[in-house]
Amino acid sequence: MNDTKRWIPVREGLWSDPSADGGEAQLIGSHCLTCGELFFPRQDSGLCSYCQSKDLEDIRLSSKGKIYSYTVVMQRPPVYYKAEVPYAIGFVELPEGIRVETLFTGCDLEKLHVGMDVEMVIEKLHEDDEGNEIVAYKFRPVTS
Amino acid sequence: MKNGRAVVVAGVGLTRFDSYDGQKGRPKKEYYDLGSEAILKALDEAGMTWKEIQAAFCGSVYCGTASGHQTISNIGMTGIPIVNVENACSSGSSAFRLAYQMVAAEIYDVVLAAGFESMPRGFIRSTAWPEWQRFMGFNVQPAAYAMAAVRYMEETGATVEDFARVSVKNRRHGALNPNARFQKPVTLDEVFSSRMIAQPLRLLHACPLADGGAAVILCSKDKLKSKSKMVTVAASVLTSGTYGHVYGGGSVKIKTPDTITISAEQAWEMSGYGPEDMDVVQAYDTMAPGELWDLEKMGLCKKGEAPRLLREGFFDLGGKLPVNTDGGLLSRGHPLGATSLAQIIEIYRQIRGEAGPRQVPGAKIGLAHAMGAGPNSAVVILKR
Repeated sequence: MNDTKRWIPVREGLWSDPSADGGEAQLIGSHCLTCGELFFPRQDSGLCSYCQSKDLEDIRLSSKGKIYSYTVVMQRPPVYYKAEVPYAIGFVELPEGIRVETLFTGCDLEKLHVGMDVEMVIEKLHEDDEGNEIVAYKFRPVTS
Repeated sequence: MKNGRAVVVAGVGLTRFDSYDGQKGRPKKEYYDLGSEAILKALDEAGMTWKEIQAAFCGSVYCGTASGHQTISNIGMTGIPIVNVENACSSGSSAFRLAYQMVAAEIYDVVLAAGFESMPRGFIRSTAWPEWQRFMGFNVQPAAYAMAAVRYMEETGATVEDFARVSVKNRRHGALNPNARFQKPVTLDEVFSSRMIAQPLRLLHACPLADGGAAVILCSKDKLKSKSKMVTVAASVLTSGTYGHVYGGGSVKIKTPDTITISAEQAWEMSGYGPEDMDVVQAYDTMAPGELWDLEKMGLCKKGEAPRLLREGFFDLGGKLPVNTDGGLLSRGHPLGATSLAQIIEIYRQIRGEAGPRQVPGAKIGLAHAMGAGPNSAVVILKR
């Protein structure tokens, strides 16, 4: 990566920044201290959308989970998405009981299946017009 | 919710749903042409003049500002209140419900519900997702259905072939509907050889886009010009999303009942009928598998039972409970603002015995259900 290129998250606040606070990048959610519900992304409104409590705390979500559902999109969606087609998206269920919608990466699209073990990575989504890399969270199969 | 006074259908109007783009010898018609054509047909059937309409609710999604006003100015400018209703794919049904409530509450006696659309082509450019999710490629409506379909298969044992059977059934029904965009039946092989859109769903699992207009005039009984074969609105219900049901994902520790189930239960309560009383049903088949879980969630059959009943012909014309007798969205095509009114109009035709070659013998009570991004769930029950 040359000096002028920058990494820009697709949206601020989706995951923790290891360069700022050490450790691994982890998805950031909200936890309602009143009813126990979890949210991803963080509830920027500061309200629990189940019980309307304002008593929310930030939490870091597990980086490993299982595929709950998925699809392989064969046709380019309009305007925004600029990476390769076909591409796979789906929901990953984390051990906390929350499901996160995600792109899948590093896998044979034909081998995705419900229940597959996957882990979170931060990866390039596309380059913008200035050559900056737009990065996003994705999930990939656990290799072990 | 209170039911108010009885509300009856004075007349309905529908254009053929088709591509009106002026290409390849096809006529060029704008949404306001299609909308006003449908309204004039409804007035004609009602035996009413435009000056009798006291208020209008107009459903559309992609027609821009004050589209109802532009449509109605083709017919007459009488100063009545016109309200434009954008409620995604249930816009037409939402307009219907507002018209119904105005008459039920005795605010007006004769009210128009219209719906129309000139559809943009290609994937529908929905803004129903936040920008970052569009960058991630989540903003693909067929993909949302595909992910729900994968879960449905996982939980019920349904197969992709079951979904294809929905397409085959509805296209067979659509062949009997002169207003449908597609009037040619398809085979299972044709569904399986159509191109993949979002695995496991293919092009022929998806409804085609179309342009079109639809209109329904509702009134109090005393304003009806003819009481012959009178059709009454037994229920008109609209619900939005319920917590824990965001296209199969999102926050999930807490689950409330699904919005489809809630809207159906409200409709049973409002009408005094139950699923067993329905003679004919228009279910929401924007993507083929949706019809199956739609019927289950409304209680018209048990969870996981719809694929077997479909295979046995239960939902065919001639079956125990014919579903999507006009070919559904899969044949009719999907002009967003007009679609859910077309479903209601099919029920009206069926229970008046005017559905021609696709008539369900002796149908007296029927239900139309529409979904919409949001989500929305709209249920209408009509009775003779």
